[in-house]
Amino acid sequence: MTNKLLIVDDEAEICEFLKSFFEDRDFKVATAHDGAAALDQVERFKPEVVLLDIQMPGMDGLQTLKKMKETHPHVKVIMVTAVETQEKIEEAMRLGADNYITKPLSLEYLEKDVQDKIDLLAKGL
Amino acid sequence: MLLSVPNALRLSGRQVRNNEGSPIYKKNAFFHVRTPKVLLQKSLVALVLFFLGALVSYLLPFLVPVSGALGFLVHHPMLPIFVITGIFVVAHKPIERLIKKLLERYFFHKKTFAQMTLMDLAGELAVNLDMQEIANLVVNTFGEVLHLKTVALLVSDPLQNNFEVASAYGWTISASKKIRLAVDTPLLKMIHQTGPHILMRGPVLQSLSWQEANALASDLDSLQAGWVIPLFVKGELLGLIAFGALVPDTVFDQGDFHFFREFAAAIGPCLHNALVVKRLRQLNFELQDSQSQWVQKTKLNAIEKLAAGIAHEIHNPLAIISGKAQVLLMQKGPKQLELKVQDALNTIVKQTRRAADITRKLLLYSQGSRGPQEWVSLEKVLDETLSLIAYQASLDKIEITRNLDPDLPRYHANMQEIREIFLNLLLNAVEAVGSEGKIVVEMKYRREEELVEISCSDTGRGIPAEYLDKVFNPFYTTRHEAVGLGLFVTQQITHRYGGSIRVESQVGIGSMFILQLPCPTATAENREAEKVGASAPGSKIRK
Repeated sequence: MTNKLLIVDDEAEICEFLKSFFEDRDFKVATAHDGAAALDQVERFKPEVVLLDIQMPGMDGLQTLKKMKETHPHVKVIMVTAVETQEKIEEAMRLGADNYITKPLSLEYLEKDVQDKIDLLAKGL
Repeated sequence: MLLSVPNALRLSGRQVRNNEGSPIYKKNAFFHVRTPKVLLQKSLVALVLFFLGALVSYLLPFLVPVSGALGFLVHHPMLPIFVITGIFVVAHKPIERLIKKLLERYFFHKKTFAQMTLMDLAGELAVNLDMQEIANLVVNTFGEVLHLKTVALLVSDPLQNNFEVASAYGWTISASKKIRLAVDTPLLKMIHQTGPHILMRGPVLQSLSWQEANALASDLDSLQAGWVIPLFVKGELLGLIAFGALVPDTVFDQGDFHFFREFAAAIGPCLHNALVVKRLRQLNFELQDSQSQWVQKTKLNAIEKLAAGIAHEIHNPLAIISGKAQVLLMQKGPKQLELKVQDALNTIVKQTRRAADITRKLLLYSQGSRGPQEWVSLEKVLDETLSLIAYQASLDKIEITRNLDPDLPRYHANMQEIREIFLNLLLNAVEAVGSEGKIVVEMKYRREEELVEISCSDTGRGIPAEYLDKVFNPFYTTRHEAVGLGLFVTQQITHRYGGSIRVESQVGIGSMFILQLPCPTATAENREAEKVGASAPGSKIRK
């Protein structure tokens, strides 16, 4: 079974290279550029892991995370942030985020982290 | 002025009993006449008058024509008596004045010289506003011209509510630093009672009860003083001059005391002005300090906003650049890139990370401390930091010495921030030395001032004077690859803990950064006590 990954970032270029990176690694990847689209994609695409940018116009990453976890508590969410302020990170973790990663991203680390989350899901955690 | 009177001539015990000696002299004219100085003066006047009379009587017959009424007078056998009487009537006062003046100048010359010197000094001090200079001049001149053993000038410190030694003559340096008289010490209480009179050790002690005398004596002993001149200005005690004599038998007469009071009245206002100026300077300094802290804070707020904005706007494009390079680098199989291209891509990834680190660091420190605080062992943190740079330092042949106070207390702070302080100071020093040189890190606990002083000196190239106030500015650097945030961050952290940092430097010799962190004695020592008590029950708590 191919693993499904949703990438949410208002920067199209970021979505694009992450998509190609994970598709090369046999993931099925969907993208969204804002919070509303992300929630919609979670509903339709049913990803196992979501990469969610914190700073987005309109509904930001934290609000999106909250709603996402309400409707789909099992989906693993990795927050992506350009500026790691302690408060935002704490808030995200409190809302149920599974990890966070800062930009610029280390793809090696990200790949490993996504794989970890999928392994956790496979174990039913 | 200094009269070492032989014991036989010393006046009875009753005289010494009186403050400033004056009441006895007024009551008992006999003693007044028998003052050796007056005796000498009167005898000399009589002698001079007699010889003058004899000389004139002898010479008169040769000068005056023999004929007439005058001739009769000149040859009269009672002539010398007439002449002496005449001369006495006419010349007694001028001669007495002359004799007195000559005696004062040549025989008791110390007195006039001393008085003149001291009054000249008081005149000069009137235009001097430097407290320390005034104090030094007063004690040194006083001590030198009066041949005293010790002189100390104490001035009031209204903030601390005590009197501290401004300058001392004949004291050891350490003694002058230690002595502080609280306003309620017996000596100061006594001065408030007696007013501007000069306090003499012997008579004052004899007039008191045993306990009071004991307490006062210990005050006087601490000042090594036999006499104390209070300095009152407008009814307020501003300071005092305490002095002790070289010769145990030294006595000062009424004239001396009169002069001391005159001198006190003359330098009192100088001291008052200097104290006002000192206070104003202090206030001005505090004002400048708080102003510069305010400017720094404003700068910092601006930087925080800017950094947050920049971080967000820049990290996205950096993420794209770095991400695409990483995608290419991580391709496998037949698509694998040439080594040259891989090198270039690696550099791109590395440099984007570096660019992001700058904004991240800036943001982190401009946001202020939000990390947890704990009791940090400064020694341990310093050693950890030293181990980080030890390798680089040994490669550069830099010798690092640490010199620590064994009584260093633990410090309540965020460990990461303290590490950052050490790291920045050390990296700065290593960079300044370049290769072959020395770095000395010192940490002292100044219990009395309630602070911990950390200094880091190097034998580096030094900082030109015109750049000294710039070294703490953000982005100020002399290195090409540096960001210029190290010392800025160090300063920010120091200020956050209510401390201060300054730099002293000489081009070609080296620089020294001195950092002072407030460390309230009570808190630190309670903590020490807790620590000692906890680690070794029953062990003695260090005071």
